[in-house]
Amino acid sequence: MLPLLCSWLWQAFVTVKFDHPLLLRVRAVFLTVLFLVAVGVFTRPVEDVAWERVKSGQTELNLASIEGALGQGIIVGILGGFRAITADFLWIQANAVWERKERATFDSMVRLLTTIDPRPLFFWINSARMIAYDIPSWRIREEGGYDTVPDWRQREIDLEQAEQAFALIERGLRFHPQNSRLYLEIGQIYLNRLDDVEAAAPWFLKASQQPDAPHFAARIYAELLRRQGKNAAAYTFLKDLHKRLPDGDLFARKGIILERIRTLEETLKIPVEDRFKPY
Amino acid sequence: MNFISLQQVGWIAGNTFLEAVRQKFFNSVLLIAVALVASSNFFQQFDFGTSELKFIADFGFGALFFFGSILSITVTTQLFFNEIENRTALTMLAKPVHKVSFLFGKWAGVQLLMLAFVALLCALLAVILYWRETSLMAEQRYEIFSEEGILRYSDIALFGFLQWLKFGLLSAITLFIASFSNTSIYTMIVGFCALVVCQLQYIARDAYAEMDQGLGRLLVQGIGLAFPNFQLFNVGDQLLFLTEETLPAGITVRMALYAGIYVAAFMLLALASFRHREI
Repeated sequence: MLPLLCSWLWQAFVTVKFDHPLLLRVRAVFLTVLFLVAVGVFTRPVEDVAWERVKSGQTELNLASIEGALGQGIIVGILGGFRAITADFLWIQANAVWERKERATFDSMVRLLTTIDPRPLFFWINSARMIAYDIPSWRIREEGGYDTVPDWRQREIDLEQAEQAFALIERGLRFHPQNSRLYLEIGQIYLNRLDDVEAAAPWFLKASQQPDAPHFAARIYAELLRRQGKNAAAYTFLKDLHKRLPDGDLFARKGIILERIRTLEETLKIPVEDRFKPY
Repeated sequence: MNFISLQQVGWIAGNTFLEAVRQKFFNSVLLIAVALVASSNFFQQFDFGTSELKFIADFGFGALFFFGSILSITVTTQLFFNEIENRTALTMLAKPVHKVSFLFGKWAGVQLLMLAFVALLCALLAVILYWRETSLMAEQRYEIFSEEGILRYSDIALFGFLQWLKFGLLSAITLFIASFSNTSIYTMIVGFCALVVCQLQYIARDAYAEMDQGLGRLLVQGIGLAFPNFQLFNVGDQLLFLTEETLPAGITVRMALYAGIYVAAFMLLALASFRHREI
C-alpha cells in the first residue's frame, strides 16, 4: 500500500504541471536534494572504507572528542592544516589571560586550544599545572590570603582545582594514551599539591608501565610505597625492577636502587642468606 | 553524445586557463601563499609543541588548503560570470558549442589552474622541508634521523593530488551554484557556505549515528548524505613521516572515485540548471 501511494505521489509530482514559479522552484530544489541524497547513498560504500582509515588516524575528528565543544569542533573542521599555528597563537593569548588572572577566560581558552590541536603535550601539561598550582593560589588570595583562609577551605580549593586539572589530563590521555608524562603529571599533582602519597603512587606506577617511561617513575613509585609504610611491597618491587633494568644505562641508576634495597633489607630485618643477590 | 566535443572542451579549457593566469587575483593569492609557505620557518618561532618539520609540513598543507579553496571558488565564479557579463558566452553558445562543452571547458580550465597552483606550492614545500631536514641532519640535533632521513617526499605529491581532487569538487559545486545564480557575489558566498558545510559534514554524519529515531535523525542523516565529505581528503596529519604508514593505494583510488562521482553529479546538476538559463 505504502509503495503504491509513494509511486502515485511521485508520478503526480513529476508529471503534474506546476505553473507557479514558486512551485517550480520548490520542485527543482526538492529534485536536487533527492538527487544528491541518492548520490550520497551510492557513494557511501566507496567512502566508508576510506573514511574509517582517515578517521582512525585523527582522533580529533571523533565526535566524542569535541563533545560539549561543538563550536570548537567546527573550528577544527574549518582550520585544516592551520590548526597548529592557530593553537600556538591561542596559547600566547592564554598566557596573557593567565597573567591577568582571569580564571573563566583561561579555562575556556585552554579548552579551545586543546580541542583545536590536541597533539602537543606542552598544552596539556602546562595548562594542568596552571589550573592545579596557580589558580588555587589566586583563589585563596581572593578570599583573603593564606593567613586568613582556614586550612579546610584551602584544602577544598586545592581539591577543586586538582579535579579540574585531572579532568583536563584525562582528556589529554584520550589522544596520548601511552604517554608517561601525562600519568606522571597526575601523580605529581597528588604528591606536590594535595600531599596525598597514597593517591599519587598508582599514577607513578602507571607512568612506569608506559613504553616511553623514564626510569625515575618506577623509583618514585617504590619510594612512595616506602613512605606509606609498605616496605615489603617496596622491597619486592625494587628487586624486580633491579633485575629488569639494563646494566649500561646511566639513567637506570641501578646503584641507587641497590642501596635502597639494602636499606629496606635492614628495615625488614631480612636474614643475610635471604638477601637480594644482584649478580 | 554528439553535443559534447572534446576539442571544444580543450579549447575552452585552454582559454580559461590563460585568462585565469592573467588575472591579478590569482597572482596575488599565489604570491601570498608562496610567501606564507616560504616563511613557515619564521612562524616556527611561535611553535610550542610539535617538531620543526611537522610544523612546517602542517603550515604548508594548511596554506595549500586555505588558499586553494579561496582560489577554487573565486576563480570559478569570476571566469563564469566574465563570460556572461561580457556577452562572450552568448557569442560562443550561438556557435555550435553546446552548453555541456562550455561548462566542462570552464571546469577543466580551472582544474588546470589549480594543478599549477598545487604543483608550485607542493614543490616549494618539498624544497623547504628538504633544506630543513638536511640542516638538522647535519647538525645532528636529533638521534632519530637515520641515514635516509625521516620524511617521505612522495607523500607531499599524494597530499597535493588529494587536495587537487577536492578543489575539482569544490569547483564543480561552484559551477552548479553559478548556473542558477544571477550575481557573482551570491555565488561566492554560497560557495564558501557550501565549503564550510562540506568540511563539517562529518559532524552531522557522526551525530546521526548517536541520535534516537525520529525526524531529527532523518534530517541530520539527509545532510550527511546530501553533501560530500571534505574531511576525507584531510590526511595531512597522517602523511610525510616515515614513522607513519603512507595512504594505501586502494584508499587513494577510493578517494579519487568518490571525488569523480561527485564532480560528475554536480556537473550534471549544473548542466540541468544551465540548460534553462537565459543568457
